[in-house]
Amino acid sequence: MKTRHGLAAALSTAVLVAGCSAGADSGGGEAKTIKVGTLFSVTGPAANVGDKMRKGIELAIDQINQRGGIDGKKIEWKFYDPAGDTATAVSQTRKLLTSDKVDVVVGGGSASGIALAMAQLTEPAKKLFVATEGARNIVQPESAHALTFKATFNDTVVIQKIIEFWKAKGVSRVAMLPDTTGFGQSALEVAKQEVPAAGIKMDVASFDTGTNDFTPTLGKLAAGKPQAYLAWTTDSSGVAFIKNARALVRDDSVLIQHGHGFVDDRYMRQAGEASVGTVLASPKLPVYDLLPDSDPQKKTIGDFVTAYQAKYQEQPNVYAGQAYDAMMITAEAIEKAGTTDGPALAKALENLGEYVGLTGVFRYSAQDHSGLASDGVTMIKWDGTRFVPAGS
Amino acid sequence: MGGPVTLLLQVLFAGLSVGAVYALVAVGFGVVANGTGAVNFVQGEFVMLGGVMAGIVNEWLRPPLVVSLLAALAVGVAAGLLTELAAGRFSRSHNADVITLATIGLTLVIKAVVLLATGARTYQLPHFLGEAPLHVAGAVVDTQALWNLAVVVVVAAALSAFFRRTRRGTILRAAADDPEMVASLGVPFRTTARWAFVLAGVLGALAGVGLAPLSVMSYDSGTLLGLKGFAAAMLGGLGNLYGALAGGLLLGLTEAVVAGYGSATYSDAVAFVVLLIVLFTRPTGLFAQRKAVRV
Repeated sequence: MKTRHGLAAALSTAVLVAGCSAGADSGGGEAKTIKVGTLFSVTGPAANVGDKMRKGIELAIDQINQRGGIDGKKIEWKFYDPAGDTATAVSQTRKLLTSDKVDVVVGGGSASGIALAMAQLTEPAKKLFVATEGARNIVQPESAHALTFKATFNDTVVIQKIIEFWKAKGVSRVAMLPDTTGFGQSALEVAKQEVPAAGIKMDVASFDTGTNDFTPTLGKLAAGKPQAYLAWTTDSSGVAFIKNARALVRDDSVLIQHGHGFVDDRYMRQAGEASVGTVLASPKLPVYDLLPDSDPQKKTIGDFVTAYQAKYQEQPNVYAGQAYDAMMITAEAIEKAGTTDGPALAKALENLGEYVGLTGVFRYSAQDHSGLASDGVTMIKWDGTRFVPAGS
Repeated sequence: MGGPVTLLLQVLFAGLSVGAVYALVAVGFGVVANGTGAVNFVQGEFVMLGGVMAGIVNEWLRPPLVVSLLAALAVGVAAGLLTELAAGRFSRSHNADVITLATIGLTLVIKAVVLLATGARTYQLPHFLGEAPLHVAGAVVDTQALWNLAVVVVVAAALSAFFRRTRRGTILRAAADDPEMVASLGVPFRTTARWAFVLAGVLGALAGVGLAPLSVMSYDSGTLLGLKGFAAAMLGGLGNLYGALAGGLLLGLTEAVVAGYGSATYSDAVAFVVLLIVLFTRPTGLFAQRKAVRV
């Protein structure tokens, strides 16, 4: 009996000692690392997007750690893949906040719906959340999203740019084909207000992702004799849209367009001859080398492209750029604030001034947590081998 | 373009084009249902595997199209054999319900494997009969739609001959009617099942290769197609060859009509509404005669 008690006592002492030393490692004084939590859907329906985002943020973290971290503290990265599922993402975000105890969350699961749900958890936890997804309402209204920012265009800004482009081309009748996801429907909501207000008549036909044949829809829209067909999707069915539209619309002066969700060389190549002349709204990344040297983003993007190619042996796309921006801006804010306290970081971001990123020049403020204006959007077109500026 | 006649033609052409693909998928469901009594939910993944495989071969080697086609068919055969192995032998069950459930699990495995191998890349093929679409009274017909419709006709004729004229086909039909009787006559259940799944794999691959020039294929292209093909098969009566063909074309046309005259927002829902109506009112399908299907 006695020996047994002794053994138990010895064991529990050992456990206590081990526990203490472990506690001393992580809790003693100031933390030695900055914990960044990230969710990207590298599998599931948005896998194409998530994969690029993961690579973009990984490159940013590598570069930050190689230059000695932020204020001498290396980044410790916690990554989860919600596979496009919001319920999974919510439990993963809880894990980030409660058991991983991350300091900041960067990256919102590669889908707007997921980012929206994540913000519901990061706000009450008083953690800074920088999303890499598109929907406006991730950060709007700013009064209800004090600690939530994003590193992407609001679709409002993109649609404004497209309207400018249409006006310059003398387009007065258009047809819009948004997909039925949050990405497409959010843009439709904006377009329904802005396009008619600009004096342009717009017909609309939404479509499901995975549509294989757009000809009935296009045939219906043809009745309005549109001078531009604008699809709004990130889904691969946008390839069939380009092919079908080019086959049906025999007048070459009619514009076949995509929003900023379809800027992808591979998609353009897969649409073949039909994609030549397709006009897209895009960040400057795909045409950075054709920008004038005076453009403030040219060098930033050039350095990023070189580093990305060296690391992954492939071309970066706009999604990789968004994730890279989000991480780099967060690092900038932490450096400036000298802390990882959520409200202090939010204040630092709002007072950062101009930050030249890959997607655009960020100017965050208390009223604008997207920080990007239409000067970062550029109209591009596919010339058969690469994207080039579309003019105006 | 423009005008009601043009729109009607366009809807018709699009409906037949998409419907041909649904028909091929539906026939695949029917073949397995006849051979084993099970509903093979891997059918949609067979389509994806065929399309993605042909696309990969085409991208890497740029061979003549027929090589890509043969590669896809080979994958179809292999996928059919493996499915039978996994769903039939592994479960050691001749029970149709067990096999059906096993195929549902298999779809997840196949998608995951293809995702790992291809990293969610999209693949496509050139058109078989020329890239330039045909113009008829302002409406366009993709040449690939003609190819797909031709494949449907050839498949229907070939399968019809196979089931009626060959010994193997007769056994398959007999097995569908009374599997125990066929087994007692010395034809193992597994042999019948293997034939059914391989045929289904080949049919799926044909559908995938036919679809790849119209759209793009990636690891998740099969799921929705599988469900729509299943709806088409149920519409025509599961296991009924001509019913499946008619069901596929009918479903394609309905979708096109909804997209052309209503809203494409609901075109995906069409298949499932049709499926529900059929299950509630005529569970044996529009053209079927005998036993109801257990799902």
